[in-house]
Amino acid sequence: MKHNKYLLISLAVVFFLISCEKDLPTFLSYENYVFSSTDEDGGTWKPILINSGDEIIISAPSDVTSAEYLQELSDLKQEVSKRSNAEEQALEYWTDNPTIRWNEITLELIAKYNIIPGPNADGTYTLPNPNNPTGPPAFPFAHPPYAVRVLAYLSVAQFDGLITAWHYKYTYNRLAPFKQDSEIKYAYADNNIPSYPSDGAVLASVSKKILTAMFPLEAEYLEAKEAEHLRSLLLSGGYVESDIEAGKIIGNEIATKALERAATDGMKNAQTPKPVSDSIAAAAFDRFGWKWINKELPQRPVGLTPLYGKVKMWNVPNVELTRPIPPPNLDSQEYMADVEILKDYANNLTTERRRIANFWQDGLGTYTPPGHWNEFTKKFIVKYKLNPLRSARTFAYINMAMMDGGISCWDAKYYYHYPRPIQTIEGFKTIAGTPNFPSYTSGHSVFSAAGAEVLAYIFPQEATLVRDWAEEAAMSRVYGGIHWTFDAYIGTEQGIDVAQYTVDVAAVDGAD
Amino acid sequence: MSNIKYPFWALLAVPLLCAKLSAQTPSDAIMMNAEQACILLEYNYGSFDQYWEGTSLRENQTIATVKRNTVMPMLAVGILDKLNFFVGVPYIKTESSDPNGGKFAGAKGFQDVSVALKYQILNKVKNNGTFTALATVGFSTPITNYLPDYMPYSLGLGAPELSYRAIAQHKWKSGLYLRGAASYLWRGYAKAEREYYYNDGSYYTPWMNVPNAVTFEGVVGFWALNNALQLELNYMGSQSTSGDDIRSYNAPQPTNNIDMDRVGIFAHYYFKSIKGLGVVAYHNQVVNGRNAAKINTTGVGLTYYFNYRKKQN
Repeated sequence: MKHNKYLLISLAVVFFLISCEKDLPTFLSYENYVFSSTDEDGGTWKPILINSGDEIIISAPSDVTSAEYLQELSDLKQEVSKRSNAEEQALEYWTDNPTIRWNEITLELIAKYNIIPGPNADGTYTLPNPNNPTGPPAFPFAHPPYAVRVLAYLSVAQFDGLITAWHYKYTYNRLAPFKQDSEIKYAYADNNIPSYPSDGAVLASVSKKILTAMFPLEAEYLEAKEAEHLRSLLLSGGYVESDIEAGKIIGNEIATKALERAATDGMKNAQTPKPVSDSIAAAAFDRFGWKWINKELPQRPVGLTPLYGKVKMWNVPNVELTRPIPPPNLDSQEYMADVEILKDYANNLTTERRRIANFWQDGLGTYTPPGHWNEFTKKFIVKYKLNPLRSARTFAYINMAMMDGGISCWDAKYYYHYPRPIQTIEGFKTIAGTPNFPSYTSGHSVFSAAGAEVLAYIFPQEATLVRDWAEEAAMSRVYGGIHWTFDAYIGTEQGIDVAQYTVDVAAVDGAD
Repeated sequence: MSNIKYPFWALLAVPLLCAKLSAQTPSDAIMMNAEQACILLEYNYGSFDQYWEGTSLRENQTIATVKRNTVMPMLAVGILDKLNFFVGVPYIKTESSDPNGGKFAGAKGFQDVSVALKYQILNKVKNNGTFTALATVGFSTPITNYLPDYMPYSLGLGAPELSYRAIAQHKWKSGLYLRGAASYLWRGYAKAEREYYYNDGSYYTPWMNVPNAVTFEGVVGFWALNNALQLELNYMGSQSTSGDDIRSYNAPQPTNNIDMDRVGIFAHYYFKSIKGLGVVAYHNQVVNGRNAAKINTTGVGLTYYFNYRKKQN
C-alpha cells in the first residue's frame, strides 16, 4: 500500500513537470496590424541602388473591367476556396509585412553558416571556397563581416524594390481583388494600398535571389520559401496573379543590380593570402612597435578578412575619414591601467558582468551582433506598426550603417593591428572566445553604436534605450576578457561617427 | 564574434552517475535498515582529450585536456527497512590543461542537489541465493547559478531531472551477483544567458530543451573476504531520446543528443577493526559515444555507517 502511495506522489510530480513543457519560439509571433502609415508618396523616395522609383519598368496592368482581369479574379476565387490547412498556416506565418520573415530567414542562415573552419589533421586550415561551396568547409563562413554584408544587400535591394512597387501602385491605383469582388475576403487588415504590383512578391523574389547568391547551398530551401510565400500572397485575397508577376519582375531586376554591386565591392579580396596578411602585420609593427598574433592551436595563418576595411562603403566617402585615434602604447600608463581593470574583472566575475558578456556575445553559431540588432529592429517595426516599405527602409539604413561600421572597424583593426588581452597579459583567461582578428577597435562596439544611432533616428522614442544597449554591448567584450576598455569606448564613438553618414542620407530621402 | 567554446557534454551526466557508483546508492541493490544511516564523502577526477562531435571522435587543441575535479558528500538514510532516502550535492571544478588554444577560464561551484527514494519491492530467498527487485525515483536540480551554456566547462546540465529506475539483482550463495538496471531520465529546460540559439533552426529564447534519456546498466559483482570486500565490473549505456549534434568544430550546448557506453570497475572495503567505516575506489571509461566526452574518471571515497535511532520493535 505504501508502495502505491509513493507511486502516486511520483506520478503527481511527473504531471507537474510535464505541465512545465515550454513552447519555445522559433519566430516572432505578432498580431496582424493596421499600418501606421501607407506612404502614398513612397514611390518618390530616393532609392539606394537605382536613381528613382520609375527606373525599373513594368507594363501597365490590365483594366479591372477587362476580360483578362475578370478571369484572374474568378481564378483567384477558385484558388481561395480550396485553401488547405497548411496554406492557412502559411498565411498566418507570412503576414502582410513579410520583411520580418525574410529577415528571420536570413538570420537563421547566418547562424547556420556561422561555423569557423577547424584545423585539418595536419594542422593546416582550409578556407571556405565559393567555387566549391559544399567543402568541407562549407561556404560561406558567415562571420560578422559576412553577415552584415548579406543583411545590407538584402535590405537595400528590398527597399529599392518596394520604392519601385510603391511608385507603380500609386501610378496605376489598381485596387485589391477583395475590393473588386465582395466574395473575396482578405486574410489581413485592409490598409487600402493598391495591389499592382504586389509588394510581397517583390520581397519574395528579391530575397530569394540575394540569399541564394550569398548561401549557394540553400538554393532549394530558398526556392521553396519563395514559392510558399508567393502562393500565400495569392491565397490572401489581396493580389491576382498579374499583381504577383509584376512584383517578381521588380524583385529580380533589383536583385540583379544589388548582386552586380556585391560582385565588385572588394569582398572577394578581403580574405588575403598569408604573404599579404604578414605584410600588413609588418607594416603595423614598423609604425607602432606591436602586432597582433593569433594564439589558437594550431595557429591560424591569417586573421579574419584583413582587407574588409577596403570593401566599398555605402555612405562614407572614404574609410579613413572615420579612422579612430591610435590606441595607447604598450608601455603607457593608460595601457597598464587597463591591464589592471581586465585582471580585476577576470578575478571578480559578478553575476551581472557574466550576464552582460553572454547576452551580447553573439558568437559562433549565432546570428552575430548585426543579427542581434536586426532582431531589435524587427521588434520595433512591429511595435510601431510600420508598413513593408518603411520596414525595408529601416532595415536598409541600419544594415548599411552597420556594414560601414564593420568596414571602418576592420580598417582600424588591421591598420593598428593591436594585440588582444590574452596575447599581452601572461596567463590571462577569458569567459568569451577570443576572435581571430586584432583588438582595436571592438567590432561589437562599432556595430552596436552604428545600429543604435539609426534606430534612434527612426524611432526617437527609443533613443535612450538603444544607446544604452550599445554601450552595454561594447562593455560586454571587456567583461568577456577579450577587449580593452579603449577598444570599447573608442569603438562606440567610431560607430556613432560612421552612422551619421547614413542618417544624413536617410534624412533627405523624402520619407521624413 | 566570440571564438571557440569547447566541447563535451557527457561530462554533465558524470557527476550524477558518480553518485550512483558508490555504495548504498540509488542504483545498487543494497538496503539499509530502518535505523541505519550512511555518510559518503567522495572525490573523483575525470579528464578527456577527445570527444565525439556527432559520431566522429576528435581532438581539439582549443580545449586541450579538460579536467574535472569533484568532491561529493552524500547522506543515505534507512527510513524503513524497505525504503531508503538519499541526498547529495557535488562541488565541481573544471579547467583545461596548459597550453591550450582557447584560453578559457574554467568554472567551479556547487552543482545540483540530488534526492532519491529507493524502495525494495521484492527480496526472495531461494535455494541458490537471493533475488532482489527495487525501484528508485530521484530528483535533481541546480542549487547555484552556474551557466549550463558554457561547455565543456559547465558544471552541469542546468536543468531539473526526474529519474525512474528499476533494479533487479540475483546473488548466489557463493557471493557472486549479477545486477541489471534501467532508468528513464526526464529533463527540463536549461536557461542560457542569451536570447537566441541555433538548434537545427532558430530559437528566440534563453530556454534550451535538454533531451530526456534512458540508461541501462549491467554489473557482475563478488563479495570476498568474508563479505568485507565488494568488487564489481560494470557497464552503463546512456542514450538521449532527442537532440541535435555538435556542429563542426563548434561548442556543444545543452540541447545536444548524447549517447555513450561506459565500462568500469568498483571496489568497496568494509573495515572489520573500525565499525561502520568503509573505503570505496572506482575507475571508469567512456568507450563509445555521440556528442560525448571520451572521459576517464577515477574516484575514491569513505563511507561511514551508523545507527541514527534505536531499533524499533
